Amino acid sequence: MCGTLTEEKYLRALKDSIVNMDFDGVIQAAQHAMDGGVAPLKAITDGMAVGMSIVGEKFEKGEYFLSELIVAGAVMKEGMSVIDPYVQGGGAAVRGKVIVATVEGDNHDIGKSIVTTLLVARGFEVVDLGIDVASETIVCAVEEHQPDILGLSALLTVTMPQMGEVIDALQAAGLRDNVKVIVGGTPVTAEFAERIGADYCAVNAVEGVEKCVAWVTPEDEG
Amino acid sequence: MTPRERILATLYGDRADRLPFFHWWRHSQIGWAERECRNRGMGMCWLRPCHIMTMENVDRTEAQDTSTGRVVQRRIYHTPVGSIYLDEKREPGVEEWHGLRSWRDVSPWQIDRLIKKPEDYEVLKYMIEHTTYTPYYFPIEQAEEWLGGDGLVIASLPHTPMQMLMIDWIGSEGGRFYIHHAKYRDEIEELYEALCKSREPLYEIAARSPAEVVMCGDNIDGLLVNPRLFEKYFMPVYENCAEILHEQGKLMAVHMDGRINVLKDLVAKTPIDIIEALHPPPMGDLPVSDALSRWKQKVIWMGYPGSVYTLGPEAVKKHTLTLLRSIVPGDRLCVEMSTENLVSNENLLTLTSILENAALPLTETTIDHIEQSVT
Repeated sequence: MCGTLTEEKYLRALKDSIVNMDFDGVIQAAQHAMDGGVAPLKAITDGMAVGMSIVGEKFEKGEYFLSELIVAGAVMKEGMSVIDPYVQGGGAAVRGKVIVATVEGDNHDIGKSIVTTLLVARGFEVVDLGIDVASETIVCAVEEHQPDILGLSALLTVTMPQMGEVIDALQAAGLRDNVKVIVGGTPVTAEFAERIGADYCAVNAVEGVEKCVAWVTPEDEG
Repeated sequence: MTPRERILATLYGDRADRLPFFHWWRHSQIGWAERECRNRGMGMCWLRPCHIMTMENVDRTEAQDTSTGRVVQRRIYHTPVGSIYLDEKREPGVEEWHGLRSWRDVSPWQIDRLIKKPEDYEVLKYMIEHTTYTPYYFPIEQAEEWLGGDGLVIASLPHTPMQMLMIDWIGSEGGRFYIHHAKYRDEIEELYEALCKSREPLYEIAARSPAEVVMCGDNIDGLLVNPRLFEKYFMPVYENCAEILHEQGKLMAVHMDGRINVLKDLVAKTPIDIIEALHPPPMGDLPVSDALSRWKQKVIWMGYPGSVYTLGPEAVKKHTLTLLRSIVPGDRLCVEMSTENLVSNENLLTLTSILENAALPLTETTIDHIEQSVT
């Protein structure tokens, strides 16, 4: 066990490497923290995740752009690759599980990537099914992973109706009541979301992730 | 006035008799409704190439992989400094009827890009440095002859250098471009510089084409192309390109159909003449009225928001009337019926029934009259 001051130094280095988007620095900071006896989960939650929260806040305020958000997420992933082998007993506690997918016929990825980065930063386990995903694949994944939330993305007006097909397929499979469905993408409106039976339409990634957090947070903690 | 005369009048600072509106040839669903709309004043615009690109000492081979149940086409470029490849997913119909377009008119989608690792940059740089552009104006001349007064033919250029890297060669999937930009900045900038140099003759070719307007590639969205990237890598290219085009009296258009609000002040500083496909809310984040007041030297070709079409003709009518009231007197604006593939006949006819009556200068009285007359 390392001393408190030393531990603070390690955690600060981890946090700073995320905020500064330092690929080499995070590997070094993570290795130092592990060698210095910092608990792996503490290194993640009180070090790197704190850095990601700062990046998320800066993104929300318009100080950081998408590029910084994505790169910070990639830096955190590199740090995790160092810390993961030290984590015992199933890894960090997760806030909830989310499946994300861009619907069939649509090859756009970036909106889904932003949401995924922010969800991971907020402690969610994310199963990313990718782009151009068929309805039946999404239904099978919901059955297999039993997520709290399903996030569907579409950037084209011609692929938006696929979101409704996924919801219908969930209904037909008897899974609709087990999962919240959030939809998003430039052309997707609240009116459309209501019409297809989604639970929520995200105006943007930050706001959508806040909704996910609210859904999985017990009311007495909210 | 013909549709062509209306579009050109707007571009050259004159007032058309009514608000110009047009469909892109590629997005137009040929049929009775499209014909009726064109008979009622809807123009047609056509993008056509003005050059042929050749590469020396670069061999290209193709292979097909069907092991995943889908046809994946691998295109491999072999150069003296190494080989790189890309993988494409193709919809049914590609190479069977209309070149590289599927039956739905969709071009192949790259699923694995040319640049995957740092070593690939050198190979692509070799390819760029051995690329030659030669003029080829027949596609434009032919389309101009066919269209006549019905619309405008626009010379089309590829994406500008940094957007080639972002969209075509590295890709944005999983944020890959940004990660490469953070990790391999020197390699990216070296390739960018090489491409900027290689492209200069191409701008000259476009400037000497018969087309009045040149579409300078790109697909700008302020979320993906943030202000720092736009200022550093895009604005200098636009300035260079515009200087060459303007010397030959040509106008420069750039496709900006994304969220542009964050870029609006920088866009104002560019020499771009036409902001093409600007999507106002609910799809974009910059109202047309705001854009017109900020970009006083520019013409806006507004892309009609596809999400409004999904709500049906009544919503189209309401949205369009609100739009018209916001842009009185209606100068410096053309309406593009769609920059996506599909507009239903009902929506196309509704929009036409409003815009065919949008006489310029627009007044509240004119718009009240349209509101009452369009059912």
